[in-house]
Amino acid sequence: MTSGGLEAGGQIPGFIVKKIEKEVYEIFIGPQHPGSGHMRIIVRLDGDIIVEADPDIGYVHRTMEKLSEVREWLKPIPLLERMTIIDACNVTLPYVNALEKLMDKKPSTRASYLRVLLCEINRVASHLYGMGIFGVFIGHSTMYMWAFGDREVFLELAEALTGARLTHTYPIPGGVRRDMPQELPGMARRAVRYMRRRLEEYRKIFVDNPVIVKRLSGVGVISKSRAVELGIVGPNLRASGVKYDVRIAEPYEVYGELDFEIPVFEEGDALARTWVRVEEIKQSLNIIEQAVNWLETHKGEPVIAKEDFDKLPKLHKEVYEREGRVKFVPAHATMKIPAGKAVARGEMGRGEIFYYVESDGGITPYRVRVVTPSARNAIVFKHVVPGHTLMDLPAIYGSIDYFPPESDR
Amino acid sequence: MILDPILYLIAYPPLWQVLILGFLGSLAVAMVAIWFERKAAARVQRRIGPYWASPALGGFLNIIADMVRYVLQQLIIPGTVDRLTFYVAPIAAFIVSILPVIFIPLSSRPEFWPVASMDYSLLIALALSTLPPLLIIAAGWSSNNKFAVIGSMRESYVITAYELVAVVSILSASAATLTFNLVHIVDAQQPFKWLIILNPIAFLAAVLAVLMSTSAFPFEIPESEHEVVAGPYTEYSGALYAFNMGGAYVRRFVYALIIALVFLGGWAPYVPGPGPITGYVIPSIIVVLKALIIVLFISFLRAVYGRYRLDQALGAAWRLAIPLAIVGFGWSLLLAYIGVFH
Repeated sequence: MTSGGLEAGGQIPGFIVKKIEKEVYEIFIGPQHPGSGHMRIIVRLDGDIIVEADPDIGYVHRTMEKLSEVREWLKPIPLLERMTIIDACNVTLPYVNALEKLMDKKPSTRASYLRVLLCEINRVASHLYGMGIFGVFIGHSTMYMWAFGDREVFLELAEALTGARLTHTYPIPGGVRRDMPQELPGMARRAVRYMRRRLEEYRKIFVDNPVIVKRLSGVGVISKSRAVELGIVGPNLRASGVKYDVRIAEPYEVYGELDFEIPVFEEGDALARTWVRVEEIKQSLNIIEQAVNWLETHKGEPVIAKEDFDKLPKLHKEVYEREGRVKFVPAHATMKIPAGKAVARGEMGRGEIFYYVESDGGITPYRVRVVTPSARNAIVFKHVVPGHTLMDLPAIYGSIDYFPPESDR
Repeated sequence: MILDPILYLIAYPPLWQVLILGFLGSLAVAMVAIWFERKAAARVQRRIGPYWASPALGGFLNIIADMVRYVLQQLIIPGTVDRLTFYVAPIAAFIVSILPVIFIPLSSRPEFWPVASMDYSLLIALALSTLPPLLIIAAGWSSNNKFAVIGSMRESYVITAYELVAVVSILSASAATLTFNLVHIVDAQQPFKWLIILNPIAFLAAVLAVLMSTSAFPFEIPESEHEVVAGPYTEYSGALYAFNMGGAYVRRFVYALIIALVFLGGWAPYVPGPGPITGYVIPSIIVVLKALIIVLFISFLRAVYGRYRLDQALGAAWRLAIPLAIVGFGWSLLLAYIGVFH
């Protein structure tokens, strides 16, 4: 039936109809393929050269924007962090920031430092995850195992801080849910020391490994102007020589007060993207140290906004004094937020995330719009992969650290 | 006596060579190699590796359990394959992989190795060892799967890269010792005139060729998981897949045996004496141990390297390995001219 329609020149809505070309070998990589992730890449090959690559995304679309509209204001936080479960604080913080803008509420400085601390722990874990996947994509199983093993250190750090390894649901409008436990600064310093030593070993076995260098240098080159034109974000953009990071461009939380650098590389190839991640891990470790130092020396401030803290009943204040845990009054869960629109941005491990939140004064958001870094980096498949050999596809895929659930939302 | 011809048939040495050393020996070596590969990689990667099947043996029984599973697993044959080739190719590839063993002597005593002491044993063993890749290509082609076809094409590209290197670098031993007879090659190296010392260039080229021919890292290209799933073996399951996978390890072992004889001096510095123990068991163990060292070294590379791109592997072969092999051959001619072995 459909073929009859096609012969008559008709199109099936939502389908792209293409003439089959001779000499071109079409392979479908994914969604059930060891090297595809939750997506499909339709690759057309001329010999061993890719002439066209079509990223077919959407296999893990979970209607997060729509679901947010039927949840009370706080409840999209645990929902949205499932978008990028490996980077949970970074992905929800801009949403919380947008709510704070609507409510005209400012978190306490201590809460800001705690948020930054968790964000940077997440960033290190997220980069390690990306580097591990990248390693196994180009056949380096040792890098995979090492990165995933060392990521555990930072997951445990996050667990000590928030109580959860991945889905922390840590920031809330006006503050965070829990204060730092006593033993955390020591743990964090040990983790930082350990990770610095391990990064040197990563360099020896992976980043400076002659096979890996040969495999990655000059592959998937994105020039500075091309990177801007494609609108890619995050470490991939900075590997192409553009010094852009939301933490610097539009400092949120306490990033303006912290001392860190934005690593930038000029080459724009897969190797430079790997190096950016390694250097960013180093910078994140610096930030973790600074945040922990500040938190240790500035005690006493509540971790939620002062006006909220004053409104708490006596029992809740006692719980906070004893455990450093903020216990919500039920009214908090069904709070109303004044009508208005707000946008907020943040720098995730993979790049800039953008939120647009609109309120009509009700108990649920009227609209939540998310633009994730992976959604913006997916364009690389279409425009950078063609011209490379089939064996370069995993190298480019891994180097841009594309994460389908984040892109599909 | 009526039993004599039957006994002769049963005790025919080449049969034993293939059955005991060829099949069981290769199987044992393959198991040790797989176990070592998993265990060593686990150690590097700060894991434990196989363990629970037999904690006292370091999880060695896990490998046997895997083999049992492969054999008992359901054999899924897709409807679109070319059935005859699909069945025959992996089995034939496995058998052909073992065949060179007939021509590889593990002792200089002719009563134990009548076939292997023939004059062209090195040439025939080498020639036989070049056959299995063709059957692997046939297996991939008969699968009627795009990933399998791409994997087969990659295999055929890689053949063009390593075949010349393997043949020239290993034959450089003949150039030095002026014989194709493996027994004579080993005898010429007695006691410590090993070719790895006298001609390390050819040895290096030979090891490179083995790495490429058996899809070891960093040249694990035809089966590269993240582009072509499992390359030529994509559609295979169960016992047929085990044949495919085991075939690669057997080929690695056979090449290692040849290299152990040609470059590492075979049973040298030991001189086989009369009787089965001194003439058969001890020299065999020496040779197999030497070969095992090479196999385990190759297995260990998995933990260190990623994989090269196809064009880089071909480039490495044509720009580096083939000149190396030719230089090694020339060096051997020089050795022969000086008369080191005579």
